[in-house]
Amino acid sequence: MKLDYEFLEAEVKKLDLAGSVTLHDLGCQDSGLEAIAKLIDENEARLVVAACTSQKIQPRIDQYLQSQGKDPSRITYVNIREHSAWVHNDPSEASKKSLDMIRGALARSVDSTSIVSEMKEVPAHVTVIGGGIAGVEAALSLSNLGYHVTLVERESSVGGHVVQLPVVAPTGKSGKEVFSGRLNALENDKNIDVMTDTTVKFVEGELGSFTLHYNIPDDEDEKTLQTSAVVLATGFQEFKPTMMDEYQYGKNPNVVTQLELSRMLTEGNMVRPSDGKPVNEVIMVQCVGSRSEDYKRDCSKLCCTFAIDNSLEILERNPDTNVQVVYMDIRVPFENEMIYKESRERGVDYIRGRVSMVWESDDETHVRIYDSLLNQYLESTPDLVVLSSAILPSDGVAELSETLGYTLEEDGHIKELYGKLRRTETRRRGVVAVGAITRPQFVFEAVTDAQAAALVLHNELQGGKIEKVARGAVLDVDDCVGCSLCAQQCPRGVPLMIEQTDAEEEDEAQKILFKAAIDILNCHSCGVCQSLCPSGATQLNFLSNSQLWSEIEAVLNEADSEYPITVCFYCEECSVSTIDIVGTRKMEYPASSRLIPVPCAGRVSIIDILKAFEHGASTVMIAACETDRCHIGGTGNEIAQVQVDVTRDILNAIGWKGERVDMFRMFSAEPDRFTSAIREMVKRAQELGPTPVHKGTAGKWMEVTE
Amino acid sequence: MSESKSLSDMAPKRRRMMDMVLALGGLKEEAVIPLSKVSEEIANLKTELEPLAAEILAFPDAYFEQFLEATESSDIISRIADRGLLKQAISHLQEAVSIRDTESTRGLLTSINTRSETLEGTDDIEEIDTAVDIDSLLSPVSELITQIETVITGYETNAKSAAEEASSELETLVASISEAVSGIQDDPASALDALQKLGTKTRYGPFLRTTAQVKRGIREGRIDETRALQLVSENIMLELRRGVIIFILGKMGSRTVLEISHLMNARSSDIQTAIVSMIQRGEVEMVGLDEDAPVFSRVLEAIPASTLVFKRILQQLNGMGKSLEGDTKSSVVDSVKRMEPLLGRLQKIGQYDETVLAESMNNLRETVDQATEAVLQSSPADSSEDLRLLVSAGLEAFARFRLKITLEKGPNLVSGTNVYGEKLDPEVYERMMSSYLDNELERGTILILIRELGAMTAKDLGEKTSIPKNRILQHLLRMKRDELLTSPGESHGYLLYDVPRTPTEAELTIETASSLALQLTEASSEFESLLQDLKAEDIGKVANALETLSKGRDTLIKITIEGNVVGEDILTGIEEKIRSAVSLAYRTRAKIPSTRPKVTLDDLAEVDVPSVLDEYKAMMGYAPLLGFGTIDWNLSKCLGCKSCEISCPEDAIELKPVVEVSKFFDISDEELDSLPVNRALFYRTVKGLAAQKPVGDIVLTDDSPGFGTVEVDLWLCVACRTCVRRCPGPDEGALELELKWNLPEVVRQITSQN
Repeated sequence: MKLDYEFLEAEVKKLDLAGSVTLHDLGCQDSGLEAIAKLIDENEARLVVAACTSQKIQPRIDQYLQSQGKDPSRITYVNIREHSAWVHNDPSEASKKSLDMIRGALARSVDSTSIVSEMKEVPAHVTVIGGGIAGVEAALSLSNLGYHVTLVERESSVGGHVVQLPVVAPTGKSGKEVFSGRLNALENDKNIDVMTDTTVKFVEGELGSFTLHYNIPDDEDEKTLQTSAVVLATGFQEFKPTMMDEYQYGKNPNVVTQLELSRMLTEGNMVRPSDGKPVNEVIMVQCVGSRSEDYKRDCSKLCCTFAIDNSLEILERNPDTNVQVVYMDIRVPFENEMIYKESRERGVDYIRGRVSMVWESDDETHVRIYDSLLNQYLESTPDLVVLSSAILPSDGVAELSETLGYTLEEDGHIKELYGKLRRTETRRRGVVAVGAITRPQFVFEAVTDAQAAALVLHNELQGGKIEKVARGAVLDVDDCVGCSLCAQQCPRGVPLMIEQTDAEEEDEAQKILFKAAIDILNCHSCGVCQSLCPSGATQLNFLSNSQLWSEIEAVLNEADSEYPITVCFYCEECSVSTIDIVGTRKMEYPASSRLIPVPCAGRVSIIDILKAFEHGASTVMIAACETDRCHIGGTGNEIAQVQVDVTRDILNAIGWKGERVDMFRMFSAEPDRFTSAIREMVKRAQELGPTPVHKGTAGKWMEVTE
Repeated sequence: MSESKSLSDMAPKRRRMMDMVLALGGLKEEAVIPLSKVSEEIANLKTELEPLAAEILAFPDAYFEQFLEATESSDIISRIADRGLLKQAISHLQEAVSIRDTESTRGLLTSINTRSETLEGTDDIEEIDTAVDIDSLLSPVSELITQIETVITGYETNAKSAAEEASSELETLVASISEAVSGIQDDPASALDALQKLGTKTRYGPFLRTTAQVKRGIREGRIDETRALQLVSENIMLELRRGVIIFILGKMGSRTVLEISHLMNARSSDIQTAIVSMIQRGEVEMVGLDEDAPVFSRVLEAIPASTLVFKRILQQLNGMGKSLEGDTKSSVVDSVKRMEPLLGRLQKIGQYDETVLAESMNNLRETVDQATEAVLQSSPADSSEDLRLLVSAGLEAFARFRLKITLEKGPNLVSGTNVYGEKLDPEVYERMMSSYLDNELERGTILILIRELGAMTAKDLGEKTSIPKNRILQHLLRMKRDELLTSPGESHGYLLYDVPRTPTEAELTIETASSLALQLTEASSEFESLLQDLKAEDIGKVANALETLSKGRDTLIKITIEGNVVGEDILTGIEEKIRSAVSLAYRTRAKIPSTRPKVTLDDLAEVDVPSVLDEYKAMMGYAPLLGFGTIDWNLSKCLGCKSCEISCPEDAIELKPVVEVSKFFDISDEELDSLPVNRALFYRTVKGLAAQKPVGDIVLTDDSPGFGTVEVDLWLCVACRTCVRRCPGPDEGALELELKWNLPEVVRQITSQN
């Protein structure tokens, strides 16, 4: 479990690419950092650090060098501890592996470019679309963080649905009370402009310079507003079940939705809408439109609690009212179970079943209920039928997505970037979604969401200073042939295809011409575009094609069939964590493996894999995040899978063995999955024997006669 | 062209194209049939049909004349008591008369109408002479039960011999299954094939569906080998077992688990599991006990009405017994005791020929009904009709179990407590009882009215009783579920409800004859009018009308009145003629594959397509296609980027996940040099690694960005050239459109693709 440093030093010194070799015991301590700073100065900032995991050492070095005003972006890291010394028993084999990997890093380092992160001043201004509880909370939080906020509301006043609620579970307060404090704060906050009766048409631009196009009443001209980030808080709309004939909604005034009942209660107007007579008997129908293949497939989550809230409120005002709730399943999450219990004690009648029809005769509303527990039809003539109808995303979300570029779920809600870690973020940088627009949410959830999103934006905007040039894909427009593969496959939808109308006019063949455009600020540097680009027009600025190819070649220096080498490309998300854990737990695996880091498995192209074989690898594997868990945006691992699958088929077709390449997926802390994967590939390398490259038959296809 | 047969199944785009081609001139089919030939064929058919037509058209009238005579002489109509059936017959005949008013149908209609009116006239239930001797009324019961018993024994003998026939079939089936099962371990897929073939014999839906699903799963690779083995040896076998059980129960009658396991040569525990799940699926039910072992039977789609009638008589007698005393009581109790096992046996038999049972069953019913009336005579003579109805309704209600239980248990619950220590509030009990009684009395009233006055709708009942309409509907639905009522049809859009009745031969005859009268009148009048001006496009209608006439004749010949086939000479005389007319029509139809005008391919060469496009638009109502063309794809310039597929407005071009890898090796160096660098590098690297030149294509399982083969569906392509213009490949791109206005050339290309 150690390396032969004398051997390493001597061998690395022999390499042409290495200018000097410095052995240092404490690279991450002050003395080591000072040595690194010195080497940076001497070598135009090009340096290979072969040490422990870059996850630990890189932040330290970066911080130190930045504090000294030096550029850490051209340093290339090799992990010879967790990825070599700690996982192999034979020091000489481990040293040989480390040497190969250092040689690879040196080769990668040659073409490294300096990535200067300049700061760009942007207005500390955020626009919140939607003045419900989530929008108002987000506006207040952002204002507290020092931003100037414009709050845009479609209706004539803020408050959204919450102010219409007579009682908000489990607080027992009315919606107005819940809102009043925030409303006060909003009025007194000079940093927040509230624009009511305003409709947003579309938003264009990018983080730091979005342009909001909107309309105000009595003015046909479209207005614009410059802003640095957008909070989407357009909330939900209640499903209006007019097309469900069985409920007579819209035809019988005594059939109302749950939210309409809330409004009646809030306004103190609890009478029969048809004739103003008192309401003594109420039937509530749950799951109207929800959990239905025809309308909304999922549970709407809130309606059970809303119905219980409202029935308790009805009983509060008139204890003699008879309230019956017809339900499929009562689903009350969180502590709302308490009010469910309370409602049962207070005499709310729960009937499991469905309402089969509502009809009118003799000025009475008749309801026929099928009770599935008694297997009986019941009939009743209530004064009020209340439909707990489904909760849908608000109108216009899909229209806004066309220019704002976030993705939508199947049911029309905004898709969050990553369920576990990036809940309020959307696919678009600088656009966050809070409240019921992402899924039906209770009041307190929407508030938490809004606060979280405010902090997420604060992280990006840093009070008005954003990174101008970052790590990411850089497009050489001249090389772009306009095939749109990058735009089709980018997990973040960053590349945009721009039609070249001027060039088209001149084109004799009447070609429809496109060029891609990549906004590096939105790029998350996965390299999928680079892997797919047929012309090499788009490349990551920290890992170009030539860098990776020369690293592959250098790592595989003199690889032969005597000591078959397995190349492992691993993603720097889940896979690197797992491989580091393998190291810290000192789990042994064969030392004939050579590890090459890539930002995301999607960066590995079919050419990269073939290059590895060309330079003598016996087997090649890709370690990637689990299915649906690609951290870069969701599909990098699937792009890698395609490359592996196609390589495999092509290898089989050209007289190789397809099993020489494979892909393995793992969560971030599954060391066993990595070691068994690499053992499998090393085993295959040994069993499959020399490759055509080793045997010298590669490229000799013309001489083969069948 | 095989497409023409399924013009309506085509994709809309493809159909639009087809429409256009057809509208512009027509397509070559197996043989070119010029318009003249079509007219010739039609003319031939007309000449051949004409001598037959007169007789064919005349036969329904001639038959119904004889039928009317037969009904009058036998007076069979007066024997019909089922008003629902009469109403149905009247409506059929009225419609027939409205199409063609013939003496025979009108005569039949009049006599049925008369009968129906007579029955309506008996609405007022005749006063029954007072003090009827119940004993003498009940005396025929015992004899009738013996008669019924004989018939049931006959059924059982029949069933037994049918079972014996089936058992040899079963033996073969079981043997072949066990042979197929032995192969499962070695080769589940082919064992599955064998099982599927065998299982088809059982006609058991779930088995067929499951097998098909598993096969598909295996074929598509969603099910791996171990899983397939497990599925075949467990799930499929279970379904097959269920199928064989259904086979046994259906063909050999009700059985116990042990009997089934013996027949199937299988473990009884397996059968037990299968049966339990089949009960849950509602396919099998328990119908009785053999010693201590439960006897199972298939769940029948409809229980024969006679079984229900028998069950009701039994309940009625049971109820009556309670209100009688002495010898009369014991004789009733005896009858009940004899009838109970008979009911069990009937249920075990399942389906049977009801007509054999009809006479004795109806006699028994009448006898018992009269006796019930007699028992009711205790009420004073001057009591009103309503009261009488109410009392009989009460009796009716008491005859059923529901009310009895409530009446017996209620008081106990009020005075004592139940096993859970709960006590019933007397007020609640009173309310409960009064609503119960109301319900049961209302239901009784409805039942009695329907039984006496024939099938009724909820509306009729509403008029005859004072029960609110929605409650009537509720009662009717409930009683239908309890098998106390059936619904034989509709009247004026309302559902008719009837008590189960055993149809007599007379009733069946009138029912069949009246519905056929309508069908035959419709068919013959259509045939007549079509024949006057026979056109090619009517050929299908002619064939259908003749087919109806032929089938109607086949049914009529089975109708007998008092044992004689009516109008036998007419029906046999016409048999050959109808049959040859049907086949003539079919033969001509086969000679004209489609009724559109036909032209030859050579004719089409002359069509100047652009010049007729406006005409086309006027004719079809939508824009013409832009043209025809073929698209050539060049792999050496393709980047696999799917831009063509994305930009195509008609979904005609597609990047298929097939890699023509061997063609990589034919790309010249010049072509490589013109390709984008990484694409060229990819091809060069593959060539540089290859130890052999590939043979055949790579078929990928999924779409793979960057790889694939472009395919154009010429049926959909409108030659708009968008794909060619969008293709980012080097030079002019990988696609080339060759515009072709030469229709035959396009047709030739299209047909050679299929």
